[in-house]
Amino acid sequence: MSSEILLKGTRMETEGFTTKSRLRNAKVLAPPNAGAFKERPAKPTAFRKFYERGDFPIALEHDTKGNKIAWKVEIEKLDYHHYLPLFFDGLCETTHPYEFFARQGVHDMLEHGGSKILPVIPQLIIPIKNALNTRNRQVVCTTLKVLQHLVVSGEMVGEALVPYYRQILPILNIFKNMNLNSGDGIDYSQQKRENIGDLIQETLEAFERHGGEDAFINIKYMVPTYESCMLN
Amino acid sequence: MAAAVTASMQPKSMTRAKKWDEVVENAYRFQLAGYRDEEEYRSVKKVDSAEKWDNGFVKKLQRKDGCFYYYNKARECSDKDVPKTKLYNY
Repeated sequence: MSSEILLKGTRMETEGFTTKSRLRNAKVLAPPNAGAFKERPAKPTAFRKFYERGDFPIALEHDTKGNKIAWKVEIEKLDYHHYLPLFFDGLCETTHPYEFFARQGVHDMLEHGGSKILPVIPQLIIPIKNALNTRNRQVVCTTLKVLQHLVVSGEMVGEALVPYYRQILPILNIFKNMNLNSGDGIDYSQQKRENIGDLIQETLEAFERHGGEDAFINIKYMVPTYESCMLN
Repeated sequence: MAAAVTASMQPKSMTRAKKWDEVVENAYRFQLAGYRDEEEYRSVKKVDSAEKWDNGFVKKLQRKDGCFYYYNKARECSDKDVPKTKLYNY
């Protein structure tokens, strides 16, 4: 009787599945966090290196209307195989000016690339995957908007992305439910298009609309909770 | 003679835009690139007209320093920018 009281007083904390955990006075702790949502900082990007070396055909501007890039050469004459993957590489950046030039550069090149984008798709997958893998909310937001732009940027681009869903979609699956449950309150991130859950839903729908007939089943395979926006 | 031609290019009056429409949108795009309007762009760059999207919005402009500005197909001139946009009359 007295020994039991003594044991209760000195319970030792231990991890599960160890020899200690089988002792009568052991207190088994909860498993550690796997860290699926934790940010994983990106390594220094090639984009930053090229930018600092002045290799991009863009002019720096220090004025107030900072939402445009002044290109030193016509975008139509750029080598997309070289520059587009580099700009995509910069999507991992979170600091000014890298972040702005990467985002705006990608935007301009996609808007005016047309048929030159399709052959470069295979080279874009790894930068996209890296950017999503940082799990940084800001980076994921930007990348999702870029993906939405990418699928409508040229003929057959949506279809060309289908084989790469295995690389891109796992992160979308992780964050798909990241919506703010604010009851009937107002979620201001929706207006600013910064709500990751909504952005992922939009992106998947864009993938399905532009990905041809195989798109839905491939999305469903990677993101089981996705429901079609075209069937039914 | 040349002076007469350039003199005729000078605008007679200027008004500021009150409401957004396609004319205002294009004026905004020219002024962002540092030109008064399409007239001036044509005379400076010696081109027939600026490159445009199929909806009539300006697509690409070359600034006076030789750099290129690319514009979206969708509206870019926000409500905040409308009163800053100048419309010239000849």
